[in-house]
Amino acid sequence: MRVFVDPDLCEGHSKCEKSAPAVFEVRDDDLSYVLLDPVPEEHREGVERAVRVCPRGAIAMTEDNE
Amino acid sequence: MTQLATPLDELNLNRADLFEQGQAHDVFRYLREHQPVHWNREGKRNVGFWNITKYEDVMFISRNPELFISSKDIGSAYPKDESEFDPETDDRGKHLIKMDPPRHVRVRRLVNKGFTPRAVNALEPHIREITNHILDDIEHKERTDFVLDVASQLPLAVICEMMGVPRKDWPYMFQLTNKVLGAADSEYQTDVPDEIRGTPEGAQETARQGMREMRQYFAAQLADRKGERKDDLLSLLVDSEDKGETLTDDEILWFAFLLIVAGNETTRNAISGGLHVLSEHPEQRKKLQDDMSLLPSAVEEILRWVSPVMHMARVATDDVEIRGTRIKKGERVVMWYPSVNRDEDIFADPYTFNITRDPNDHLAFGIGEHFCLGAGFARLELKVMFEELFRRFPDIQVDGEPERLRSNFIGGVKHLPVKLR
Repeated sequence: MRVFVDPDLCEGHSKCEKSAPAVFEVRDDDLSYVLLDPVPEEHREGVERAVRVCPRGAIAMTEDNE
Repeated sequence: MTQLATPLDELNLNRADLFEQGQAHDVFRYLREHQPVHWNREGKRNVGFWNITKYEDVMFISRNPELFISSKDIGSAYPKDESEFDPETDDRGKHLIKMDPPRHVRVRRLVNKGFTPRAVNALEPHIREITNHILDDIEHKERTDFVLDVASQLPLAVICEMMGVPRKDWPYMFQLTNKVLGAADSEYQTDVPDEIRGTPEGAQETARQGMREMRQYFAAQLADRKGERKDDLLSLLVDSEDKGETLTDDEILWFAFLLIVAGNETTRNAISGGLHVLSEHPEQRKKLQDDMSLLPSAVEEILRWVSPVMHMARVATDDVEIRGTRIKKGERVVMWYPSVNRDEDIFADPYTFNITRDPNDHLAFGIGEHFCLGAGFARLELKVMFEELFRRFPDIQVDGEPERLRSNFIGGVKHLPVKLR
């Protein structure tokens, strides 16, 4: 799967980093960055949780065949 | 509970007394079980609307801000007759909370850098200093009104400083905020004729007075900043520009109004409500005071439990189905946060106050496009306040019943008597 963070929406709340620390990193500019592309399947649960709990709805994921 | 005092087709959540008397949780529980998408009958003056009481439905609405818009006002009560809006105080579409994407995204970007967790946390030492000044003022007392002397003072000071409001005017901002958000409560209807006090007309007039006066106040402040910039948010708004987006003077005044009102009424009630709920659960309170590292988690549980903002309304821009019920284009949906934060499908033992609850994905700040801009401030103010309060007054006790605000919008406490030692 591939994961994207919309920089226009992200405000650095860091919920994604807590849900999937191997996938997301919130940096000094208060934006979350996706560290892996594509994201290995083992992180699916964490990424799905990140998508769900992101306060701004800034995270999107797509499947490899899309 | 198996029955409601009012038949479902007569039930009206615009009635503030339902909340003042603390019956709302019974009603919400009943609605979640029997009619989670419930048509609230129209009133004499107001249109009918859908009461939304389940967590997943509020998530769905919040995640689709183009399908469910905010620019047709965000309160449950909406007049049937559009001419009831008064041009001077009609703020639909004028500030963030009543604005839709794509403009909402751009305007929020003008200010959100000042509200990120990192920016907020940098202010912690200063917020701690303010907190201690507030507590210094009650040091010599035995008893006090916790809302007036403590809970209201911190968020008021933080937002007023941020906006550059001189200290002498803070009580005035407090008073105007009460008029706007406490308008339905006769305690704040201080400047209306006797014959309309306590009526919907009295509430409407009180809210309008508060809005007009606050705008007049900030118009003078704005003129001042245009002459000379200061290190405050108002000056920043004057100069703000992002990808060609700027704010007009009218929008700056509405913005100032929104920030003052939202910044000082909500956290006030989370602090008061927090002390109250901790006092009602002495074993949880002891657990916290024995190990203050549990505070961040306790703050989240206080937010879930209190849900200081009770609802936000949206209007559907197309026909849509929610939980099998057809919502028609143009109809209002009202999302009830105290209800979703006790949704049995999401929270284990939702009626248990548990300061170590995990996970605790409450929606007290909403979610999505309009997620509370000030959430970081609210969390930090709550944390610092309880740290300093319990450090300095470890034996503080609630000493009487809280006096609740008459409102279906703000879950407020007007007065909370406490014994300090």
